[in-house]
Amino acid sequence: MTDIDHKKILTERVSARLGRRAVLKGMGAGIVAATAAGGFPAIARAQQSGHLRIASIKVIDTLDPHFTGFLPAIQVINNIHNGLLKIVYDGEALTFEPDLAETWELEDDKTHVFKLREGVKFHDGTPCDAEAVKFSLLRVKEGEPASPHAWKLELLEEIEIIDPLNLKLHFSQPYAFLPVALNGSTGRAGTIVSPAAVEKYGTDYGRNPVGTGPFKFVSWRENDAIELEANTEYFEPEMPKLERVTFLLMNEASTAIAALFSGQIDGMNDCPMQLVDQVAANPNTQIFGEIEGNYTFLGMNCKDGPFTDINLRRAVAWALDRETLVKQAYFGRAQQAYTPISPPMTDFFDPDIATSGRGQWFDLDKAREFRAMAENQDEIEVTYMMAERGPVGTRTAQTIVPMLAQIGIKVNLELVEPATWLKRRNEGSFDLYDFEWVADLDPDEAIYPEFKSDGAWNFCGWVNTEFDDLCAQAQVVLDPEERRKLYYAAEDLLMDEAPIGVMAHMPIYKVFSNKVEGFQYIPADLMNLHSVSIT
Amino acid sequence: MLVQALKKLGQTLVVLVLVSIATFGLLKLAPGDPVQIMLGAEYSQDSYESMTRELGLDQPFLVQYADWALNFVQGDWGTSYIARTDIFTYGFKEALPVTLTLAFFSLSFAILIGVPLGVLSAVKKDTVFDAGAAVFALTGTAFPSFLLGILLIWFFGVKLQLFPVMGYVSPWEDLRLGIYHMILPGLTLSTYFIAMITRLTRATLIEVLDEPYIAAARARGEPNWRVIWVHGVRNIAMPLVTILGLQLGTLIQGTVLTETVFNLPGIGQMLTSAVLGRDYQVVQAGVMMTAFLFIGVNLLVDLSYPILDPRLRDRK
Repeated sequence: MTDIDHKKILTERVSARLGRRAVLKGMGAGIVAATAAGGFPAIARAQQSGHLRIASIKVIDTLDPHFTGFLPAIQVINNIHNGLLKIVYDGEALTFEPDLAETWELEDDKTHVFKLREGVKFHDGTPCDAEAVKFSLLRVKEGEPASPHAWKLELLEEIEIIDPLNLKLHFSQPYAFLPVALNGSTGRAGTIVSPAAVEKYGTDYGRNPVGTGPFKFVSWRENDAIELEANTEYFEPEMPKLERVTFLLMNEASTAIAALFSGQIDGMNDCPMQLVDQVAANPNTQIFGEIEGNYTFLGMNCKDGPFTDINLRRAVAWALDRETLVKQAYFGRAQQAYTPISPPMTDFFDPDIATSGRGQWFDLDKAREFRAMAENQDEIEVTYMMAERGPVGTRTAQTIVPMLAQIGIKVNLELVEPATWLKRRNEGSFDLYDFEWVADLDPDEAIYPEFKSDGAWNFCGWVNTEFDDLCAQAQVVLDPEERRKLYYAAEDLLMDEAPIGVMAHMPIYKVFSNKVEGFQYIPADLMNLHSVSIT
Repeated sequence: MLVQALKKLGQTLVVLVLVSIATFGLLKLAPGDPVQIMLGAEYSQDSYESMTRELGLDQPFLVQYADWALNFVQGDWGTSYIARTDIFTYGFKEALPVTLTLAFFSLSFAILIGVPLGVLSAVKKDTVFDAGAAVFALTGTAFPSFLLGILLIWFFGVKLQLFPVMGYVSPWEDLRLGIYHMILPGLTLSTYFIAMITRLTRATLIEVLDEPYIAAARARGEPNWRVIWVHGVRNIAMPLVTILGLQLGTLIQGTVLTETVFNLPGIGQMLTSAVLGRDYQVVQAGVMMTAFLFIGVNLLVDLSYPILDPRLRDRK
């Protein structure tokens, strides 16, 4: 045993003290400290009533937590399942707290010890014990077919079951990233599924999910609705409060808002930025939304074409007028970004970043200086691949064209259909494209897999082994101060060599009618309905 | 008669095979990769490869097509890549009834509103009413249905709160609620057809009313309503049915937009999301159902002629 209190360091490291930013309206009373784990074993059973209908915009591929790649799916999954840990937000700070675990401790920096809650049962009646936890973690780590999240548990060496309620996770090296790996992308890798149900349904588990959560899965009608009902045996006291929940699967946000205004539905999971004013003007609705852990960027192809020239990339990065972008492309709702680390990561985010001299910002003179250093001094013609996708569609691309014209880059916009866009991005067949990495809880998640040399998501093809080393080091360092320095150094390299021009951090809006009470907003694009009731 | 039926059946099969090859080929030619789409933003190369193998997408084109065709004929329509659900259940049992219900309501609206409007225009030819109906018909033909849908939603759904703005309830399960939910989408989709039927009815009826048998009926002293609604309208049934059969394609096209705007889980939405997601087998199933529907309806139209026109009966 070492003298260091790893648990405390870890908890502090990940507890992001969010400066409490303006939440539009309706916030405030909703935040209760209902997350305290007390009350067990004498669970006060909640009296369930009411039927909540929520529009879920965009794709839900599967309700299997270990296989989905989509946040709207996670929003539903988190109401059906629990994880070892969960993300908690008290209006000030984001923290990780034990969920199915009663306690979570570090024996040494490579060994995490979990004690599970007693008597928790899956919806199919089977017990949620150490075996089930082991089963779920192994399913992610080495299951067949391979889970897309397997890399998060790559360093997990052994799962040691001490007794049905206690288990130890042994890692091959200090793994400070564990809570993020378990909850990252809001809870995929660390979500516990019923082994019996996986056995029974096989690859159809995603259509028949069985968890321990406050709601049980009832049905899923394609392109129509997902129905949940209350789990009356749920282990947290006084939850859930609703009897039924319907997620209506919709494509059109404007139809969802019309349905909300006419009282046909009670909420929606993602209100586009351009419709927020309209919703805010309606007295019967409440909006939740803050800047979340994300960043949008203009990606440049470092492997092929004109942007192999570092000075040309730098010129582009400094020519992007972020203020105009925020106003015109993001409807004035986003926040200018200087580096990828976003405001909710408060242990890492520098509130004075604007004056710190770090990162990228708009400076046309500097952009012209870099442009003058570029090899090709003639007008350069490039292709900007865009699609009707993402939070603001093609607006970003259209706003950027005149900015680059100022530094002698003629941008040809090429509109492709989203599937083509995805394929071409993954193949690196573009000069420019824009994208956003979302729902990040930690700098590692925000930059490492995205820009690691030869990393699967490094679509710009940027290679810098110094960056790789810095990020790899930061993964095993526990001291927050030291870790921050490493990430800042990594970010500085990234921003200087400019495979991307970083643009903005965005808010994501959840909307409810005034009949809905008790929603606990978590700035990780979550839609947890544990404490929600409807009058 | 039997030879004719067999010939027709043979033609139908050839058409279906051609349609299926064309769809399959076009989808494969379109850039985009279902595995990348279904894995979302975060995945590793290993999971990509294992998924590709699992779905059989590493096989050559012809093998994939033959696999699909053999299974399809046997009633195994496969599993959706993205939704991982049985396509027969999803497409045939869930989506198809929604689209058929929507089509049924729109056609009913089109006939119930279009025919009387056309008849009145023909009878009151060159009056203010006729001019008004003509303006309505022209606007209806030209007005984009999705825009009309949104306008109807805002006015009848949000402002007046008379009708639900979205969703589907099966009329077979709850007739009242089902009809209630179908009124706005049904109207949206039928505008074009109301307009078309109005114009067709008016034009044909004006011609029919000049025919000798109408003059004969009038000479027999039959009341005016009988002359028009029995002798007149009966004779416009043939062209009406023919046109409706031919326009079914337009109707199915229209369901795509209408289903999106009103969030109805029908074939249109199924096809849209499947095409965008490169969910090949779902697209195949959707296109095959649509082709069947189109061919089936045209067959029904052919069969209905002898019923509508006694002169076509019992001819050798």
